[in-house]
Amino acid sequence: MPSPVTWALGVAACLLALAAVPAAAAPAPAAPKSDDCLMCHSDKDLKRSKPVSGRPDSLFVDGAALKASAHGGFECVACHTTGTAPHEALPRVRCADCHDDVRATLAGGAHGRPATVAGKPAPACTSCHGVHDVKRAAAMSIDTCGGCHARQVGLYRDSVHGRERARGGSEAATCRSCHGPAHALRARTDPQAPTYHLNLPRTCAQCHADSELARRHNITVGNVYQLYMDSIHGRAVSKSGLLVAANCSDCHGAHEIQPRTAPTSRVYRANIPATCGGCHAGVRHDYAESVHGLAVAKGDPRAPVCTDCHSAHQIRRTEAAPWQLEVIRECGTCHAESLKTYRDTFHGKVTALGFTRVAKCADCHGSHRILPPADQRSTVAASNILGTCRQCHASATWKFTEFHPHADPADRVRFPKLYWTWLAMTALLIGTFGFFGLHTALWLPRSLWERLRRRRNGGES
Amino acid sequence: MSGHYFRLNLYHRILHGMVIFSFLGLAVTGLPLKYAGSGWGVWLSHALGGPFTTGYLHRFFAVVTFLYFALHLGYVARLVLERRPGVFWGPDSMVPQLHDAVQLVQHMRYFVGLGPRPRFGRWAYWEKFDYWAVFWGVSIIGGSGLLLWFPTFFARYLPGWIFNIAIIIHSDEALLAVGFIFTVHFFNVHLRPEKFPMDPVIFTGRVHEDEFRAEHPAEYERLKDAGRLELFAADPPPRWLLNFSRVVGFSSLAIGTILIWLIIATALR
Repeated sequence: MPSPVTWALGVAACLLALAAVPAAAAPAPAAPKSDDCLMCHSDKDLKRSKPVSGRPDSLFVDGAALKASAHGGFECVACHTTGTAPHEALPRVRCADCHDDVRATLAGGAHGRPATVAGKPAPACTSCHGVHDVKRAAAMSIDTCGGCHARQVGLYRDSVHGRERARGGSEAATCRSCHGPAHALRARTDPQAPTYHLNLPRTCAQCHADSELARRHNITVGNVYQLYMDSIHGRAVSKSGLLVAANCSDCHGAHEIQPRTAPTSRVYRANIPATCGGCHAGVRHDYAESVHGLAVAKGDPRAPVCTDCHSAHQIRRTEAAPWQLEVIRECGTCHAESLKTYRDTFHGKVTALGFTRVAKCADCHGSHRILPPADQRSTVAASNILGTCRQCHASATWKFTEFHPHADPADRVRFPKLYWTWLAMTALLIGTFGFFGLHTALWLPRSLWERLRRRRNGGES
Repeated sequence: MSGHYFRLNLYHRILHGMVIFSFLGLAVTGLPLKYAGSGWGVWLSHALGGPFTTGYLHRFFAVVTFLYFALHLGYVARLVLERRPGVFWGPDSMVPQLHDAVQLVQHMRYFVGLGPRPRFGRWAYWEKFDYWAVFWGVSIIGGSGLLLWFPTFFARYLPGWIFNIAIIIHSDEALLAVGFIFTVHFFNVHLRPEKFPMDPVIFTGRVHEDEFRAEHPAEYERLKDAGRLELFAADPPPRWLLNFSRVVGFSSLAIGTILIWLIIATALR
């Protein structure tokens, strides 16, 4: 409990304070007009008497800019509430006195953080809106963001989105399209941010799930969002919440997004192995050694990159039958002859029927590290072929490996035994069907005539 | 007198029943694999449980085939051991003889109206051809099929390319067999206008005297002259047997006709 003396002192202090307020206000002169202020502050050389850390030395105020600004209708004292003419150092202007709602919005966002982070000073209202030349949100541009985020804005300007904007396209994404409104903006590490790893696909989908928009802008894949969300990456992100699963920007980049036809694009054909390899480092290593990887490295445009087999947005589990069967056809788009001869074998027919429990291309040749048979490391090299066959045919012998999994009986030079067998069988078929075809063709009218004759004779032969 | 005579005994008929059963089974389970690239091949294979199920069934029907083949060889061996005359030569024999070639030429001349119908004996030349076609077919298709059934076993003794040969032979010979049975055999035996829509003799074993005299006059005369005709006298086929003949016969004809139609349609596509 406070002592009676303390009580008395407290009450006295309160009474004094109440008396002091009107006493201080009463002798104050009328609040100065802006013109009064500008009498001094229009001097371009007006400086502080002593520098204050973090604030400019110049006390010049551009009256014209102020008049033209969003705050043009306000007197200086609207913000500098304690300002008198003349005056000593004034307290910092508190925008929140008027814009209280913005303070709430800013709180918790990246732009509302109170302190310097990673060497970047905490942004103030004036960082974006200006000091006296106060800009409305509508009057602000990407340059405003560029004030702090110069590198990102620079990348953006050269991106497919930035260039479309520069051409006057109003549908291309700007900073705000992906990052959200500036006051509420959250860093991409924030689970609530639209650019957070798990949220980004939905953010991109604001535009890229719209097939009409895709059509208007000649974007070839109109249903990219749906395809992605069904893919192994999309499911890992949306269902499992995996931060390590690729989202849009992992492949396409973020600010620097380029069309896949641009050689600088992360999804440009020749760059795809490196882009996928960003996560799939082991696969990239194997692929780089393969016939395909070497051909791509040499600049062969026909050699397959990751997306040729795995697709771009519909990437599926490779253990699943539909993918395993489709990739056979995919191999066949280049290796047409090999696919044709494969389809002549039991292996090829079973897979054609939609079943996978037989050898498929990759079971013998490998997948990422496909090497030519002449390479001693190849799964189909003469020294390794028996082991490859024995993956399924456990008791296979060296003689067993003399089977040709890609035989063409029509090729007399490479497969003479098969050629002559095939020719003999064909001759047998043509001979038999030819002879009996003729036999039947002649017998049919005669037999018909015979039957009619019997009927005329009343059943007698 | 007008009655029926036995043309085929029960053993013949049971064995031919096994041929029908296994042949249709082999065709229905084998063709979807051969025609895996066609829509109906995929459909039929899936309808039957997929290539591994059809493969299992195909081997079952193959066993039935090997079984009737062995039973027939046993039958022939018994005839030989009993010193039955005429197994390898003569009018009862299946062995092609000079008169078969002559009758083939005569028959072709008859087709175009250049002569009378040859007087066929017990086995006409096309019937002998069908008989030997089964012999040839079972050996060739069965042999190549065994190679493909047990590849690692046979690869202990034979080079691997033998399986490439086996694939070609098994597939083409099967096409020949299926194509022949479902067109030429069906026409010769069942679908030609004099027999249309089917000849039930393979099920009933009995042939009417009129038809006997029309189709196999030389045999009829031979038996009659030898006084042995009445040894083959038969009661008319019972109604249940005729009905059975129709059900099995028409079903088999239908399966065969559908399959050959699909094969031809695929070939023409």
